[in-house]
Amino acid sequence: MHLSRRGLLRAGLATTAAAALGGTTAGCSVPSGSTGRDMTLWYWTGGLSDKVVAKATSRFTDVDLKPVQIGGYFRSKLLTTMAGRAYVPDITGLKGEDMASYLPDADQFVDLRTLGADKLKDQYLTWKWEQGATPDGRLIGFPIDTGPVVHFYRADVFDKAGLPTEPADVAKEMDTWENYFAAGDRLRKKIPGAFLLIDGLAVFENVINQGTQRYVDEDRHFIGDQEHVRRAWALSLEADRRGLLSDIVSGTPDGNAALEKGLLPSQIGASWAAGDLKLNVPKTKGKWRAAAMPGGYANNGGSFLAITKTCREPEQAFEIITWLLNPDNQTRGFVDASLFPSTPASFEQKAMREPDPFFGGQVTIDVIGPAAEKIPVAYNSPYDVALGQPIKDELKNVTALGKNPDRAWRDAMNKCRRIADHLGVS
Amino acid sequence: MTVTADVMKDAQGSQDAPGTRGTRPIKGARPRGIALHLTLMLGVLVSLFPFYWTVVMSTHTSTEIFQFPPKLLPGSHFDDNLRHLFDSIDFFGSMLNSLIVACSVTFLVLFFDSLAAFVFAKFQFPGRRALFVMMMAIFMVPAQLSAIPQFVIMARIGWIGSLTALVVPAAANAFGIFWMRQYMKSAIHDELMDASRLDGCGFMRQYWHVALPVVRPGLAFLGIFTFMGQWNDYAWPLIALVNPDHVTLQVALSQLNGVHGTTDYGMVMTGALLALIPLLIVFAIGARQMIADLAKGAIR
Amino acid sequence: MATAPTAPVIETPGPAVTGAGAIRPKPRSILGYWRLYLAISPFYLLFLCFGLIPVGFSLYLSFHRWDGLGHMEYAGLSQYRYLLGDAQFWHSISNTLIIWAIATLPMLFIALVAAVMLNSAVRFKSVYRFAYFLPNVTSVVAIAIIFGSIFSTNFGLVNAVLQGLGLDQIAWLNTPWGIKVAIASLMTWQWTGYNAIIFLAGLQTIPGELYEAARVDGAGPVQTFFRVTVPLMRPVILFTLVVSTVTGLQSFSEPQVLLQTTSNTSTFAGGPDNAGQTMVLYFFQQTFDNNDFGYGAAIAWGIFLIVGIFSIINWRLVQRREK
Repeated sequence: MHLSRRGLLRAGLATTAAAALGGTTAGCSVPSGSTGRDMTLWYWTGGLSDKVVAKATSRFTDVDLKPVQIGGYFRSKLLTTMAGRAYVPDITGLKGEDMASYLPDADQFVDLRTLGADKLKDQYLTWKWEQGATPDGRLIGFPIDTGPVVHFYRADVFDKAGLPTEPADVAKEMDTWENYFAAGDRLRKKIPGAFLLIDGLAVFENVINQGTQRYVDEDRHFIGDQEHVRRAWALSLEADRRGLLSDIVSGTPDGNAALEKGLLPSQIGASWAAGDLKLNVPKTKGKWRAAAMPGGYANNGGSFLAITKTCREPEQAFEIITWLLNPDNQTRGFVDASLFPSTPASFEQKAMREPDPFFGGQVTIDVIGPAAEKIPVAYNSPYDVALGQPIKDELKNVTALGKNPDRAWRDAMNKCRRIADHLGVS
Repeated sequence: MTVTADVMKDAQGSQDAPGTRGTRPIKGARPRGIALHLTLMLGVLVSLFPFYWTVVMSTHTSTEIFQFPPKLLPGSHFDDNLRHLFDSIDFFGSMLNSLIVACSVTFLVLFFDSLAAFVFAKFQFPGRRALFVMMMAIFMVPAQLSAIPQFVIMARIGWIGSLTALVVPAAANAFGIFWMRQYMKSAIHDELMDASRLDGCGFMRQYWHVALPVVRPGLAFLGIFTFMGQWNDYAWPLIALVNPDHVTLQVALSQLNGVHGTTDYGMVMTGALLALIPLLIVFAIGARQMIADLAKGAIR
Repeated sequence: MATAPTAPVIETPGPAVTGAGAIRPKPRSILGYWRLYLAISPFYLLFLCFGLIPVGFSLYLSFHRWDGLGHMEYAGLSQYRYLLGDAQFWHSISNTLIIWAIATLPMLFIALVAAVMLNSAVRFKSVYRFAYFLPNVTSVVAIAIIFGSIFSTNFGLVNAVLQGLGLDQIAWLNTPWGIKVAIASLMTWQWTGYNAIIFLAGLQTIPGELYEAARVDGAGPVQTFFRVTVPLMRPVILFTLVVSTVTGLQSFSEPQVLLQTTSNTSTFAGGPDNAGQTMVLYFFQQTFDNNDFGYGAAIAWGIFLIVGIFSIINWRLVQRREK
């Protein structure tokens, strides 16, 4: 209780003055976008090769490239920051699954064609390139990687379960979803406490991604009630009925613990998901293998880099982006972070064929490469995120909480109709 | 401190006088007394256990934590966790930010609130009653009603991302004015005011020399309360501090926890533990006063 | 902290300040009072900038469609129409009320019992008070992280105890009621001691003679508790109920921190079947996850209405206390 009056006065006035000054200075020179030489680059953990980014910071000395890794829900953070008009990054990653939803806000980004992007178009996969562009042709997203989906599995656990362990054999025995589930049945019998997949979404999303249609078509019609979605829904329920799905929430410490213990020995994921495995369960190094996924080929995610309109030196930023994502560095991206290149020139490079110790020395490109060539290209609508969510939520209600599937489907469709109405989708 | 003691005596009145407790037949009820203390100790255990659990978790590696049954005794990896924590977030930077915000707000609140309270408690002026009622009505408006516009307005003036966005809106509040007014009404005697006026004291000198010295205990409570509230504030900083390199401790902590696929649980718990320590210190210093004032406020 | 610790009861100031001896300056023009107005101005200025104008703006926003970036588009009443039929909003209201109920009722009961015991304990009273109050001053973020680990499925303490008792483990954070229990127990833990301290202060104003009389009448401790303590403590119980209602209806940090790890597509996730999604959490999700500022504003007004209704009920209860 030693607040002397004088001290209180002094401190009070000082802070008042400080706050007032802080207010005015902040008001005048708020760094919306870059201040001077600073150039901020936002991405998420595993979104770019950290080594390539580090090289870029030392290579481009005209600006201070400041890479920042953003945790949590990336799109929400980026949009909120843009709405807040402060500390907007100059260069930002855009996740593949969100790409379409950024397109209506295309005027928040620099049209990369104005910086000469068209000259580089030939070096990138055409379908990937087009996903980063608006219907009227403005190029917003510059391709980072693609997401060819494969089957990652723990060879040690498969061995114990009496399942094949060599990638070719696994691919052959689990060539369809039905056969994959049958293998799951055997796994469940042999390994107590183990599950084939973490949740219903692990089936659902992959089946959707194997098709060329999602939830909304080019003419803004809701197609989430059609056969391709029903089929994915039914397959997920089938896996649930057989007891192949765990009740673990993905991404929680519980999930990682189960991965580490081999209780979730199978994962159907995009190339970049291997990066997450390496990051989250480093102790399982050498035990994983990659094989072709059951039931066809799919693309999941694969992201983009964009330049925001607040960037003061778009030319510099463009130079950095194109360097970060040139074929050589895309190859590095694959080696360092399992980001599968969107530049066909990378496919031939020797580094791509380096054996991966995390996968017991397997040359994973042998599996991922063919999967990448056969990716079905789907139309992504800006409304896919909003209209896919109710279906996924209801699926979770069935698989995790035992809700009646018919009711869940009806509820999902009702919610979708309402949201579609609200968004102007018919 | 003396003023509070007096007020406390007033508030609790004669019941605390010797008679009440002394008449309780403690001697005859020793077994019951022991049972009583055992039950109360159980409550203490429940209150304190999560803190202990945090200490335990922060001294183990995540692999140890993921084992079953859970560890109940401290391990030996606190320094590893600490190192990982400091590698993952700018712990001291964000703590400094929290400190700047909490201190600035506390001083501003103490000054503005006590000044306004002084006016409301001791002066008559046109519109006094209406202004006071309006203030109390404002007190009832939920914060989220203004959250979006506040965000938009601050985006326009360029405060989003800076600590100013947290300090300025919190610089004065209805609760503090109300609290200080109640305090000043009884604590500052009118004779004192009259005397100072006869001495030729102006308004500000009355405030500094008459009011403030008397209400220091009240200020102390408001100060500790404001500081803790600001230190723990989470929802608005989470939205307003868009620059991930420049956040308060609570937001940094939630970033640590919120990264999808967090494995290093020991590190997260170490962060939680470290974030609690400054508060516990402030509380340990002010606990007695704070608990007494809090109770008094409720029973008023 | 979500609300002020002692939401003060509205009281209208009397015409004279403190009766005799109050300073009554000679009548003068309004300008003559400039010092006084200046002294109270900071609060009203801040309120104007960060209270009144925002509230007006949020009303305006709720009649528009806006993502915070592009152009605002007039939408009439459509946001409110959508809100009325929004099952998830209604779901979030019932979540909020259920969580509030399973947190508050045990909280107040335990607090009252603890206070009665504290009141009759002679020694270590200040030690107990300190320990009981400690949870209340800790940050919700840190505590929610800690409770997340206590309720974890695979390595959590609660499940370890269940297993020790030979019971099945429960995936607390992955079942609709489990998540509610986890959130509610966090709140109960944090606020029971606070309420106990307030009850204790109230108990100390109850004359000891009443207890004497009850004892003479042959009432046991349980009877005394329900016949003497509870009725006499009614005003204080109401006060704590008011505070915990206002706090509980606006709960946000507890579910947000506990649930944010359950989704990588939402900062303000609601957990399994959105069972942990409170009204305010839903407001933040729609506003800042979906960048739907117009709809967010409409939700905020919905919350305002609900909190308003409960505040009026509370106010009525408190007013009866005054009589």
